[in-house]
Amino acid sequence: MAIAHEFNYERPQSLHAAMELKDSYRNSALIYAGGTDLVVNIKEGMLKPELLIDIKDIPELHKLCLDNGTLYIGAAVTFMELIDTDFVEQACQMLHDAAKTVASHGVRSRATLAGNICSAVPSLDSATPLLCYDAVVHCQSLEGTRNIPIGDWFLAPRKTAIKDNELVTGISLKIPKEQNAGVYLKLGRYGGEDLAQAGWGIWLNNAKQYRIAHCALAPTPKRAFAIEALLNGKELSPELIQTAIALLDEEIKPISDIRSGKEYRMHVSGVMLKRGLYAAKDRLDGKIVEPAKLLGGI
Amino acid sequence: MKEYTYIGKDVTRIDGLEKISGAAIYGDDIDFGANLLHAELVSSTEAHAIIKSIDISEALKVKGVYKIFTGKDFPYKFGLYMKDRFIFAQDKVRFVGEQIAAVVARTPGAAKRAAALVKVEYEPLPAVLDQMDALADGATLLHPDLENYPHVPWFFPKPGTNVAHWRKTRKGDLEGGFAQADYILEDTYTVPRYAHCAIETHVAVGKFDYSGRLTVWSSSQSPHTQRHLFAEALGLGHKDVRVIAPHVGGGFGGKAGVTMEIIPAALATKLKGYAVKLRYSREQEFINTYQRLGVVAKIKMGVSKEGKITALDHKIYWDAGAYVEYGANVVNAVGLSAIGPYKIDNVSIDSVCIYTNLPPGGAYRGFGYSEMLFGLESHVTRVANELGIDQIEFRRNNAIRVGDTTAYGAKMNPNGLLECIDKVTKAIDWEHRPVSQNPNTVIGKGFSLFWKAPAMPPNASSSAFLKFNEDSSINLIISGMDIGQGYQTVMAQIAAEILSVPPSKIRVETPDTDRNPYEWQTVASHITWSSGNAVKKAAIDAREQILSLVHRVYNLPLEELYLQDEAVKCTQDPRFVLPLKDFVVDGIMTKDGTFKGGPINARGMFMPEFSSTNGDPETSQGGHPNVHYTVGAAALTVEIDKDTGKIKVLKTALAIDAGKALNPDLVRGQITGGLLQGLATVLYEDMRYDAKGKLLNPNFTDYKIPTAMDVPEEIIPIIVEVPQPDGPFGARGIGEHTMLPAAPMIANAVEDALGIRIKSMPITAEKVAMALLAKKK
Repeated sequence: MAIAHEFNYERPQSLHAAMELKDSYRNSALIYAGGTDLVVNIKEGMLKPELLIDIKDIPELHKLCLDNGTLYIGAAVTFMELIDTDFVEQACQMLHDAAKTVASHGVRSRATLAGNICSAVPSLDSATPLLCYDAVVHCQSLEGTRNIPIGDWFLAPRKTAIKDNELVTGISLKIPKEQNAGVYLKLGRYGGEDLAQAGWGIWLNNAKQYRIAHCALAPTPKRAFAIEALLNGKELSPELIQTAIALLDEEIKPISDIRSGKEYRMHVSGVMLKRGLYAAKDRLDGKIVEPAKLLGGI
Repeated sequence: MKEYTYIGKDVTRIDGLEKISGAAIYGDDIDFGANLLHAELVSSTEAHAIIKSIDISEALKVKGVYKIFTGKDFPYKFGLYMKDRFIFAQDKVRFVGEQIAAVVARTPGAAKRAAALVKVEYEPLPAVLDQMDALADGATLLHPDLENYPHVPWFFPKPGTNVAHWRKTRKGDLEGGFAQADYILEDTYTVPRYAHCAIETHVAVGKFDYSGRLTVWSSSQSPHTQRHLFAEALGLGHKDVRVIAPHVGGGFGGKAGVTMEIIPAALATKLKGYAVKLRYSREQEFINTYQRLGVVAKIKMGVSKEGKITALDHKIYWDAGAYVEYGANVVNAVGLSAIGPYKIDNVSIDSVCIYTNLPPGGAYRGFGYSEMLFGLESHVTRVANELGIDQIEFRRNNAIRVGDTTAYGAKMNPNGLLECIDKVTKAIDWEHRPVSQNPNTVIGKGFSLFWKAPAMPPNASSSAFLKFNEDSSINLIISGMDIGQGYQTVMAQIAAEILSVPPSKIRVETPDTDRNPYEWQTVASHITWSSGNAVKKAAIDAREQILSLVHRVYNLPLEELYLQDEAVKCTQDPRFVLPLKDFVVDGIMTKDGTFKGGPINARGMFMPEFSSTNGDPETSQGGHPNVHYTVGAAALTVEIDKDTGKIKVLKTALAIDAGKALNPDLVRGQITGGLLQGLATVLYEDMRYDAKGKLLNPNFTDYKIPTAMDVPEEIIPIIVEVPQPDGPFGARGIGEHTMLPAAPMIANAVEDALGIRIKSMPITAEKVAMALLAKKK
């Protein structure tokens, strides 16, 4: 499909040069990392930038490391790099689970985690681990650096806390020291790549503390604090989980769209919460869990 | 049974290396040089409206724009079976996405920029988006001039209504049949529209040179039919229209007939000397090519307590879209065959083709039979279960056999339906009722029969040229398209068998209508049978030329000569071995130094001379509209999650009577691919329209086609061979059939596992889970 819109393209060699461009073009410049959302949106006429700033030649944005219990993911790091890096899987299995469910193999080879959270769609798989791990989004502009807690990042569908002269340089997650485990469950319509009908990220530790986040069930991905509060300090039991499921009415606000009716989203969220809690507990107990197989199908 | 050398063998695809290596040329690969222009369409945003004005002034200002054309430039109608379609909308638009104008520019980007600036002013008309609404009294008419539309003699439009064609089939005494019945079940089944989703979107390039000849390069299943329709619509002589069809990246019926290809063909005639390309985006591919028709089917079946079907009243209402020039024949085909592969004495079928303000319906793998069988095979299972008769036994007892009469009175061809039923039952271990080890899931099994006949005009024909080269390799010049089924390979195998030349020494190229002989279309699963017969005749013609030459030169008895290992041999004289390469071009030198013979060039043609559409319009009795049926059976085992509704196909088996599997490996490939395509239509695909007739999912984000992740765990392909008397080596078509049983057998398996009967497609996880929840309440 032809691109009707004409725009300029720059590939700055330093972060400073990229920030200068962003500062002078503001909203009429868009950051180009993987381009898997961006190029499609330009083709379809939904975005009409004057300038694309390609950040893939900026070395520090490719940084991916685990230092002193902090997992740092540079803005140009792709999902495939996350999937293929052992320390990512060991440190944050929920993020690894979620990365494997984003789009298809080809798209994951180009798409970046930072680009993903900048697109900020409600069905953002990768948001659930970031929310559960209280990630911080690092933004830079010529004015300086802002470290934005992920909980403050998503403002509305496709709207984030980033300013028009900033670019995301990386994302960091604090990896808890105590014994803990997480799992991401995604419901899609078939075995291939799909946007989530519903997504649940579930984390717990050996002190029975719980962190739970969801996507595709509200205008933005969110933590389920009321459910966490109910569960904290308690051992999982069928009765406890039923009580947690009863809280879903308050916790999520699903809509009906082409991917699913809201009634199904509400119903299946209870199923996912239940199976996800047991799966996370299984992982905590050292059992092998295959999240893709937990919801049937494929 | 006769031992063949190449027939029935798993010969490697002769086009394989070309395709795997990237050497194969597709429509968009061809370089047209500096004189190539690009077209972009301006499409309707209204489902039904009068076009009040079209303002192209702003669009013309865009840099790179060459010209803009509208309906005024091309006031022509066209169509395959009924001329109801326009190159560009004239006074009215009839669906969202209908082409109104085309911008022709130097680059695709400029064309697209300008197309967005063309302003169309509409006066909206009431839109009819549902076939049942379109049938109601007082419904808005899409085609008030229907009575003036030319059409084939076997269509029966009802002017003054939205009914474009009504196929009525009546046999026996329907009321009497119901009176004999001990049990009658009546219900309604619905099937939405579907998209083909070939990997390669439609692309065509037209070029009209200064001498007045039109050449069109087109990704097509139907080069000769396209040439004919271009010539007819544009007022050109057939010799002055040339269609070149390079390799095709998938068709599934979507590239049969003519859809968008007529646009660059027509534009070229106004742009002498230039080549004009139109390449569809994926979105356009969804919106403005043929789609599979939607269906509402009302079935009433009467059965005796012994399990004999005594009467069937099958009413099928088709959402055929805004133009039905091809889709009406889908309706016709099913209207003749909606008894399924059963012997039923008292039958009434009404198959009604209804105009709606949605995109045109047309050919899609299965040609209406998938839609029909979803209802019928669901219904058969329910009836058997209600009677307490095993559904396999019920099917066996009512199965149509050779010599039984079809709904329109012709005799059923030889077939292995019972053998297919037995083999599938065994392969799926039908009697075994496994219990799930997972507390969240249940296991169910589903069964379905299927049948389908090619839907063709009675005079649809195929032809073949065959020429020998110096090394006894062969160029086989034919005009069917290899759309993935392995056509080129199988045709080479047929020629190879007759001429004793290995398929690897036979080249089959994609067609050019100037040089390749006539072929109707690569549709209807008829090409192996029809083109295969033509190729066989051409090969026999070549063999006769060769043997009669040898007979003449060596004075050996003709009946003692035969071909083996690329040589002429003689049954009476084992020492006589004359390699073909020694003479098939250069001739045979005799004692006096003169040469006899010369290049061997052969030809073959096939037309089913017994076929006729002269049935009675009120009953369809008489005539012989279908050349034969291919039949089969399939079953599957599924595991269903009771909470999420997700369905996993654990195992599936499909048996098909191929007559003779010319290349069993390719038949097994069709079974796998067809099942996967069919399962997708029932498990997750469907086209969704909003209340204004706009397609909501013209993309792979929300229209899901299967991936490698969605292949059933185990697929058992079974080939049954009851020869087709008039088929090449006994073969008949199997391509479309392999997807036909998928939808009903899933519906049947869901009921088997959960006790829930779902009567509308698709049967998504959501639909299953919500139905289970509703049942619990």
